[in-house]
Amino acid sequence: MWLRPFELLSLFVFSVILLSVTHGIAHASTVRFVDGEGEILTEVEFKLHQDIVYLPVETLKTVFDPEMKHLYHSPKKQLTLKIKGKELRLRMENKTVNIDSGKQTITLTAPPIAIQGQPMLPIHFFEKILQYLDDVEVLYNANLQRVKIMPKTSSALETSDGTREWVIIIDPGHGGEDNLGCKSHNGLLEKEIVLTVAKQIKTLSARHGFIVHLTRDQDVYKTLIQRAQTANRTQGQLFLSLHCNASFSSHHKGMRLYINNPNGQIRSKFTSMPVFGKKRLNIITQVNFLKQSKDFANILRKELNFLAQDPIVITEFPIITLADVHMPAVLLELGYLSNIDDAKQLSNPDHLAELAEAIIRAIQLYSTSVKQSSNSNGFQE
Amino acid sequence: MNFFQRIIHSRLFIIWGITLVAIVIGLAITLVLISQSKQTKIRDAPPKLPDAANPTDILPPLQEVNIFLLNPTSLEITPVQVDLQLYLEPTERLKQIVSALVQETLPNYRNPIPRGTLLNEAYIDSQKTAYLDFSHHLTDGHIGGTTAELLTVTAILKTVFDAFPNEIIHVQILIDGEEKETLAGHLDLSQPLRF
Repeated sequence: MWLRPFELLSLFVFSVILLSVTHGIAHASTVRFVDGEGEILTEVEFKLHQDIVYLPVETLKTVFDPEMKHLYHSPKKQLTLKIKGKELRLRMENKTVNIDSGKQTITLTAPPIAIQGQPMLPIHFFEKILQYLDDVEVLYNANLQRVKIMPKTSSALETSDGTREWVIIIDPGHGGEDNLGCKSHNGLLEKEIVLTVAKQIKTLSARHGFIVHLTRDQDVYKTLIQRAQTANRTQGQLFLSLHCNASFSSHHKGMRLYINNPNGQIRSKFTSMPVFGKKRLNIITQVNFLKQSKDFANILRKELNFLAQDPIVITEFPIITLADVHMPAVLLELGYLSNIDDAKQLSNPDHLAELAEAIIRAIQLYSTSVKQSSNSNGFQE
Repeated sequence: MNFFQRIIHSRLFIIWGITLVAIVIGLAITLVLISQSKQTKIRDAPPKLPDAANPTDILPPLQEVNIFLLNPTSLEITPVQVDLQLYLEPTERLKQIVSALVQETLPNYRNPIPRGTLLNEAYIDSQKTAYLDFSHHLTDGHIGGTTAELLTVTAILKTVFDAFPNEIIHVQILIDGEEKETLAGHLDLSQPLRF
């Protein structure tokens, strides 16, 4: 018996809806574990209990220690974990974790629970406990249900041995009466968002041993040349210009990274000509840092990808903001104020704090890689 | 002859009578003319013929030209065909095509040129660099953001290079006759650009 066209169409529409809904549910009920490079380690189905994400104990074996063993005593509701040479004792519905027979005790924000007779660990266990067991850092992104497990980065460059402290220039774009910045439909201003993130980076930098200079620390107008002069005068090792994006289509979303390259996607006429005009020489100077800028942009992308739904794209073109800066320089667009989802995220102080932390991690990783390559080349900075 | 008969036959009476009739007729004619002038529809001025680049440059028939707009679904700057009566002279043709880009509003596309922008002037120099002088609306009316700025410039460059693959190598964007560092604070516009 053949279906009539209308019935066939209805069946098709129903199937598409069913598929998308089930896909959405399936997608939403997993936590993705990634390593420091952003590579996926595994995806684990989670259970939601009182708005807290719970994962099976076996997850530890997959993402952290393949040698891990666990014993669950159901009547006593007691869970014993042997992991990375340590013994952890937990009790269901109890927030305390005993490590090595009480030598150390850690309190979780949510207790482990048993679901259908199986012990489940709260996501906070992964965030807080794993770093005590090994030299790893664990980051959890609740919005995207991602967990990043990466080796602890070495601390900031030492200064006691005579090496120079790292000076980072953070440039919060626009400001003051500059009418070039963008704004969202609900009144969010680019100049305010980027200043907030820049100040948070500065605050965090002290903890990591960096010196951070801001090209502006309040809502004032600074010309592009004033910003470049601030950077060059303070002899920074890295320049990061922070901006918020906008587009003529509300579908554009996500973060973007840009590098100054007069031979990039769009090209300037005078890029390699031996001209003695100030502007042209400056562009050539900035191009000398193209490789380092790319290196930093790649590290930044890896760190920020953890907070992004879609992979971050790096684009090269002649950027006036970076053209006169004599150091590796990157322009970061934190999100689109013309997109409702991005604007919502950029109005969330927690998200801005996460962005600042990711940027600091990237700076730290970059500085470490530069130091390592300097040492392997046999000279000190 | 009584008093009234004498008045009627008097010369004065005849003169006053004729004058009165003349005034009435004159007034009537004036009123008719006024009412007719109100009803007369003023003819529309004949449509202004576009200025030819030179007296011998006669408008050819409609030609298909690509202008580049933002496809909001694919998020790409894509070609859209429009029909234009193009001059033969390259500079005039450049003005026509860029003006068409600036003014185009198609329902399924977004024009990345801010509304109100006008092309003031355009010319091509001997080094095949096109100078496009836009009104200040191109910067003042811009929504900002690196992507939006790139989309605006990409739409202009693609439209020009598609129409003039051999005649134009670089494009210098000017605002009200002056070089500007940038449109929205990111892309370097101080020099002529190309892909």
